[in-house]
Amino acid sequence: MTSADTTTEPTGRSFATLKRWGQRHGWTLGVWILLVVLVVWYSTLIPKFGGFQVTNIINGGTSWIFLAAAQAVVVIAGGIDLGVGGLLVLTSVTGARLMDGQPFGVILIIAIGIVLAAALINGIVGWVITASKVPDIVITLGSLYIYQGLALMILPKVGGGSSDTFRWLFTGSATGIGTNPWPAMVMIAIPMLIVSWWMGRTRSGLSLYALGSDSNAAFLSGVSAKRTKITAYAVGGALCAVAGFSSLAISGVGNATTEGGNLTLNSVAAIVLGGVALTGGIGSLVAVVPAALILFFFNPILSALGVNPNQAQVVQGVLIVIVMMVAGLIEWRRRRRS
Amino acid sequence: MTEDPNVTQSDPMAVVDDAPGKVSLARQLSARPQIVLIAVLVVMILVTGVIEPNYLSVAGVRNSVLFAVPIGILAAGQTILMLTGGIDLSIAMIATASAYVAANQSPEGAAIAIVLGLLVGIAAGTANGIGVGVFRVNPLIMTLAMSGILLGLFTGWATTIFAGSKRMHDFIITLGRDTFFGGSVPWAAVVWAGVALVVLLVLRRTGYGRNLYALGDNAIAARLSGTRAWQVLVVAYALSGLLGAIAGLLLGGRVGAVDLQLASLFLLPSVAAAVIGGTSIFGGVGTYTGTILGALILGVLQSMLTFLNTGQAVQQVIYGLIVVGLSWMYTKLAASQ
Repeated sequence: MTSADTTTEPTGRSFATLKRWGQRHGWTLGVWILLVVLVVWYSTLIPKFGGFQVTNIINGGTSWIFLAAAQAVVVIAGGIDLGVGGLLVLTSVTGARLMDGQPFGVILIIAIGIVLAAALINGIVGWVITASKVPDIVITLGSLYIYQGLALMILPKVGGGSSDTFRWLFTGSATGIGTNPWPAMVMIAIPMLIVSWWMGRTRSGLSLYALGSDSNAAFLSGVSAKRTKITAYAVGGALCAVAGFSSLAISGVGNATTEGGNLTLNSVAAIVLGGVALTGGIGSLVAVVPAALILFFFNPILSALGVNPNQAQVVQGVLIVIVMMVAGLIEWRRRRRS
Repeated sequence: MTEDPNVTQSDPMAVVDDAPGKVSLARQLSARPQIVLIAVLVVMILVTGVIEPNYLSVAGVRNSVLFAVPIGILAAGQTILMLTGGIDLSIAMIATASAYVAANQSPEGAAIAIVLGLLVGIAAGTANGIGVGVFRVNPLIMTLAMSGILLGLFTGWATTIFAGSKRMHDFIITLGRDTFFGGSVPWAAVVWAGVALVVLLVLRRTGYGRNLYALGDNAIAARLSGTRAWQVLVVAYALSGLLGAIAGLLLGGRVGAVDLQLASLFLLPSVAAAVIGGTSIFGGVGTYTGTILGALILGVLQSMLTFLNTGQAVQQVIYGLIVVGLSWMYTKLAASQ
């Protein structure tokens, strides 16, 4: 075995390393390549491709990215959170109600408070799941209703607001429309890097993967299922709150009648495209971020192609199914070979 | 080693010896959690009667049943799929699509309208089944994508080929809205009873029903004992589509006209009814009897919330709390068995 290894040529070995790397990170690489291809293709479709278009896509994609990240954290830990869309709506209308007309310093405190409250409330959802032993999908179906109802109570009519500085943070301009993509990119990058580092490098983050891939083995190696699941839901809740802020910053007002269920479904589609296994234990934010952006990106691309929004929805559905079928086929071939 | 079997054998006896008096009730409840559901249903009917004394009448109960009918029929589809470990998030959109086609074909006569409407449901369901059963796409994703595809198609068609065809045939309206026996029995409830009978028989008395349970309980064991998973799944999703179509026709008949949001409000309640009724979302466990009780509970809840005249906001919060509370209770009872 070792002698065979040493006798192979260096190029052969580096090729094998490359192949192994490709097998491990192939999906992530593929999603990023797909995103780049789509951007290049889009830039040839429209007459002028510049800062305005880039900013629009990044800004619009921000809430998709955060919601998909929230879903990914929970799914990797072996759960699924149907409530994320409802929590986005709840946090965005709470922000709109409380932040309206306040100076930026106060808004910052309110924002931190909302993030913590969202983490707490979704952590309680996680606790209910572990305490009741009811499947995640059922409890979070209930929490979706509760969040949506609470949002309507807090802001019965479309309204409220935030401040210019707050909107600039997420959109690069005080009006939500502009040509400066950098603030939104920074607002995406910093939390994503922190959460990625937490998931991949810390004990509590890695225990998400342990719990998601095999809860018995995780228990036997000293991971507390209860604490891990509650942590996953709490972190997911905090990410939902940031998603809610982003959608508040873009629209400028809160709207409690937004269908949270549809947003949840987008987040599930995004993480699946991002290579997260719905059975838990597999996936990373590195691939989820571009996947969420790709899903949002479909809309401007298809409208640039002259496809009307209804047909765009059909195309999007068909594409998701095709991607899933291809992924299933690859997985099946790999399993048959091994 | 030889002592071990004796120890484990004596364990259940010890439990019985421990509390001979208390066992009977707790045991009975955990062996038949549906008794608890019936108790919840009765309590909710009585509470609603206290809130609004007029509710305890034929008309009051009829209204609750009318609320429960579409939920119950859609939840039949969810029950069948949950038994296999699946779910159908497209069932509400399938219902809407079927209602659209039926409304479009209504000038051609009731029979053609109904048959074509049902065929739409079967076709969409079969497509779901091929995706899940043959190509192994995750059921959540497959049915979600199907829902998006149908919504896109019918939003486009609503203003083109289906433009102007919004009104249902009178016969379908009769089925969805009218009553007989002096206004006491809605035709929709009769349709539900028929559907329920067939679903109960299929699940309990046929080999196909046992295949559904086997597949959800242990897919590998089911395959090794000769079940062809993909065939069972394709049929199950087609059945779910058919049930969605039936519910869609009744809803379209009740409203009298169709629009794109016709059935969307019933998607999550259909899942909730099956879950409250004790069907496991992981497959292999559940009965349609439980789902029927779940649908009736949600129907009575709807009546209660209507009488309380709470806003939509409070209704949604209560709805969510009920789903969480009942499923928690049910799991606790099942675990103590």
